[in-house]
Amino acid sequence: MDVAGNASARVYGIAAEFDSAAALYQAAEKLRDSGYTRFDVFSPFPIHGMDQAMGMGRSILGKIIFFGGLTGFLTAVSLEFIPSSFLYPLIVAGKPTNLYTVPAFFPIMFELTVLFSAFTTVIGMLILNGLPRLNHPMFNWERFKKFSDDKFFCVIEARDPKYSESGVREILKSLGGQHITVVHED
Amino acid sequence: MSDHSPFEPPKPEFFDYKHVGGRLLGLVGTAILAFVIILGSAVYFSASGNEAGVKQFAYSYLFAFAFFLTICMGGLFWTLVHHAVDAEWSVVVRRQLENLASLLPVMAVLFIPLIFVAPHLWQWLQEKNAHDPLLLEKKAYLNPWFFWFRAFFYFLFFTVSGGLLRAYSIAQDKDGNPRYTVLNRRVTFSSALLFAVCLTFAAIDWLMGLDYHWFSTMWGVYIFAGTALSSMCVLVLIVTGLRATGYLKDVVTIEHYHIMGKLMLAFTIFWAYIGFSQYMLIWYSNIPEETVYFVRRNTGTWWYGSQFMVIGHFFIPFLFLLLNRTKKTPFVLCGMAVWLLAMHMLDLYIVVMPALHKTGFSADSVFYDVFCLLAVGCTLAAVFIKRLGESSLFPVRDPRLPQSIALKN
Repeated sequence: MDVAGNASARVYGIAAEFDSAAALYQAAEKLRDSGYTRFDVFSPFPIHGMDQAMGMGRSILGKIIFFGGLTGFLTAVSLEFIPSSFLYPLIVAGKPTNLYTVPAFFPIMFELTVLFSAFTTVIGMLILNGLPRLNHPMFNWERFKKFSDDKFFCVIEARDPKYSESGVREILKSLGGQHITVVHED
Repeated sequence: MSDHSPFEPPKPEFFDYKHVGGRLLGLVGTAILAFVIILGSAVYFSASGNEAGVKQFAYSYLFAFAFFLTICMGGLFWTLVHHAVDAEWSVVVRRQLENLASLLPVMAVLFIPLIFVAPHLWQWLQEKNAHDPLLLEKKAYLNPWFFWFRAFFYFLFFTVSGGLLRAYSIAQDKDGNPRYTVLNRRVTFSSALLFAVCLTFAAIDWLMGLDYHWFSTMWGVYIFAGTALSSMCVLVLIVTGLRATGYLKDVVTIEHYHIMGKLMLAFTIFWAYIGFSQYMLIWYSNIPEETVYFVRRNTGTWWYGSQFMVIGHFFIPFLFLLLNRTKKTPFVLCGMAVWLLAMHMLDLYIVVMPALHKTGFSADSVFYDVFCLLAVGCTLAAVFIKRLGESSLFPVRDPRLPQSIALKN
């Protein structure tokens, strides 16, 4: 079996190359059904339904964003009410600061809610994806460069509870994976 | 992707009238009875000189008319959106939107009673206001000839546009010729702008015109927000009703419910956004000729209705529809749709009725409100059931049907 990277470093996982998106999709479904959880696929373009084929659950990003938005809302409420109701009450346009003038505060509450939600979305997405990162062990493998051209790749990581070198090699071979390679971490 | 078998087109499903059976007769009977009661009593009040009675009929009828008109216009709106953006997801539910839009000619007929009570509703039509300086300024727009021509034009446009879209769509059921899709796209692009114009000015003529001194530049889009939202709610109810009867089982999936729920959420937010923008601009500039609208709707018992709408028309549906589970459970989504329709009804009630009962809700109006809703609603429901059986329940030969059925969010 081929080896990529520094053979004395830790093993990142065992990878295989596939010729088509359909083959990769079926491989992902089989891996999911045989109980692998820590594996990843790489393709030159997004493949519809791959999330389900890999058995990935719903992202928790939506729930994180809810709290990001809530933080923005509460920030607006405190930034508006603390100065203009308590610290330095001002009468603007004949409208004193009490509960009846809250409509003037709504646009800022809305904007900060949206702003904080958007920040949480982008930053949360990057963190959940493990980005930004400088390198990825898969780049140690010369053939892997074709993932942005016309080849499809699948890697089963060594931290998968079901991982065993012979078992993983067997299943990748049975799924039609070519150039099965052990990828090391550096 | 895992399924490589060639797409097998589903068989057309035709609505069998046996599912409604005697209930259709009940609907027609209720509609006729309600019409006899409201029109009979209005004519009686008119003959006996009871002006308050005639006025009450006029406002209640306008309220019921506006409620159902917005729903039917929404059917046309979503059909236009479907063709304008080449949507895939909405192919399976499009026939029901077309059926909704095909009720617009019926709305034209139901408009007739309003012609007879027009001066009670739109007081600029009264002789005694003819020399009001504020009216003279608006004479170019607010004059009887132009007013009635506009009403005629709105319904002509709604009938032709909705009729063509539905006719081409049904014609495609027979031979599956993609040419009809292209034809519908042409109808759409010549209709889209006119639809916006007709909806905006219909809202201005019939609802903003209840107080011809008052004006709001956001009025048209405010009514539109309720239009798009209420018709989406009705669509959810229709589709769920058909599925419960055993139709559309293999065609409409939870994914379609998810999208309809998302659109309900989007237009709940849009309604609040427009409603608040209108309120805040008027509240902040504080000009008496503009604030009169909200002052009246914050008077007496109307205040409770207006306040309740903020919670009931926005916060409750917003928080519920945020949850994925609400959108993906047809039963819960239907509950939300019924709630939003009730809120839309309250919205239009608070638009129309304070123009008559200026100091607060009046129990006198309940009789006419209920019977006008029954009369208009049952008529439309009966015609809609008739329309259901006229063609397949979904566009069975639409070129995008396979993608629509296989929809994944």
